[in-house]
Amino acid sequence: MVNSQSELRSEPAPLPGQGLRPADGAAAEQATIGPRDLGRVNWRGLWTLYLREVKRFLNVFTQTIMAPMVTSLLFLAIFTLALGRGNLKFGEVPYAVFLAPGLIMMQIIQNAFANTSSSLLISKVQGNIVDVLMPPLSHFELALGFAGGGVTRGLTVGLAAGVAMAIFVPIGIHQPLAIVWYALNASVMLALLGMIGGIWAEKFDHIAAVTNFVIVPFSFLSGTFYSIERLPEGWLLVAHLNPFFYLIDGFRYGFLGHHDGNLLIGSLVVAGINAALCLLVVRMLARGYKLKP
Amino acid sequence: MQPAGYSAPRRFGAVNGRGLWTLYRRAFLRFCKFAVEGTLGQVVSSALFLTVFTLALPERVETLGGVAPLVFLLPGIVAYQAFHAAFENAAFPVVYDKLEGMMGDVLMAPLKPWEIVVAYVGAATLAGLVTGTAILLLGALVVPLPLASLGLVLAFGALGCLLFALMGFLTGLWAEKWDRYAVVETFLVLPLGILSGTFFTLQAVPAVGRELMRFNPVFYAIDGVRAGFIGSAQAPAAVGLAVLALLCLALFALCWRLTAAGYKIRA
Repeated sequence: MVNSQSELRSEPAPLPGQGLRPADGAAAEQATIGPRDLGRVNWRGLWTLYLREVKRFLNVFTQTIMAPMVTSLLFLAIFTLALGRGNLKFGEVPYAVFLAPGLIMMQIIQNAFANTSSSLLISKVQGNIVDVLMPPLSHFELALGFAGGGVTRGLTVGLAAGVAMAIFVPIGIHQPLAIVWYALNASVMLALLGMIGGIWAEKFDHIAAVTNFVIVPFSFLSGTFYSIERLPEGWLLVAHLNPFFYLIDGFRYGFLGHHDGNLLIGSLVVAGINAALCLLVVRMLARGYKLKP
Repeated sequence: MQPAGYSAPRRFGAVNGRGLWTLYRRAFLRFCKFAVEGTLGQVVSSALFLTVFTLALPERVETLGGVAPLVFLLPGIVAYQAFHAAFENAAFPVVYDKLEGMMGDVLMAPLKPWEIVVAYVGAATLAGLVTGTAILLLGALVVPLPLASLGLVLAFGALGCLLFALMGFLTGLWAEKWDRYAVVETFLVLPLGILSGTFFTLQAVPAVGRELMRFNPVFYAIDGVRAGFIGSAQAPAAVGLAVLALLCLALFALCWRLTAAGYKIRA
């Protein structure tokens, strides 16, 4: 009930069953049609939105799941071939074992972002965003529904890439909790960033630019392919200011038990960023920034 | 006598030169419209690959294929990006014209099927070469690149771009939706492009793979372009040129026949 208030506010004509006094003759019939009591959370609406977001990417799974999987295998192949057929060691582990977690994280980052940003932008461009804004869903529920879809995509792709690479590379698991924690945080962070991007962008060019010039470079240059110890002195500090570095470093720790940065700081940084992004997204939806006229 | 106000039907020679030029120009101007964004994206991805490889290479590795690693990598990356651009600029317009219903305008014009293929594919080949040149010039600012034989670079670059443009045209004909375009790009062009010696030498590949590489035409194209810069090839240039030229001819014939038959473009 609370949720539907804002939607009703600007309606010039009263809706059937809402705010209309039943006409005399039809009183008995009309009495049964009242506003639905949704409770504190519109669970059905939230679930429906989430399901739509998930089905949206499952519908084209060759592009959304298989393609990232193949890409990560290709990266694994070219980097291990180019860097000397597995003779190369990073610390105590072969390079491929070092690389695999980074590649999984890279795909999580890129796909979680792609899911929410493309969903929102396509809805905006095609004009069916109103179908999402009109139903009695609160801003928080909207954010949760969209972000949930992005997180599911990120985790699904991560799992698919991981399983595919495990066929070729002996990937061990050191700390499952760290893997889950960082995979989840990465998906949430990028899904929220994708929402901000999707809400802000007006054309596909805009979102392509953000993907090509921000998301991809960051996911490449955050220690996916190399240990940041290799960076020159001054850049080491820059690397530590990059939140994606903590995601990749912590995620890799879950597999290898080795980390370059401080895990506690990393966890706090990513959790803090996620909380801030969440507030920002809810605020943007509440104000209707670029979504409502 | 013609009635007043009607002109006689236009006559062309064997080639409708003006029509061909018009269609070609349209296809190339389309590329130009998005050239800056498109090329910039490819420049960034090339720069990322170079940076990442440099940082990931162990310090003891001082040469790759007989030259400094960056000198080895840059020509490969330039060739791959050029080929990819050629593919994209051939496939994209065909799918777009089909979906938007503009293909009819092209088919109605007094153009022979081979002229249509030449216009689309020619413009895409040029787009690939332009993209490659742009990335090369920017890369050369950072990497001191030798140039052993300009002729080899141009020959292999043009043939490689032509090959990918023809593949793009075929993809465009075959694709009814963007999904199919994406499928070909992800599962054929991307693997062909980057598993063909863009980033590694033949010696780095296990024996089985080395044999397979000899049947991969893209390997010859990338190797040929690189040989034009660094002066040492992994496969004989003559074999490469012959393989690529024959393959291009075969694909052109296929494109021509399919266009003539109206495969998926004529109701």
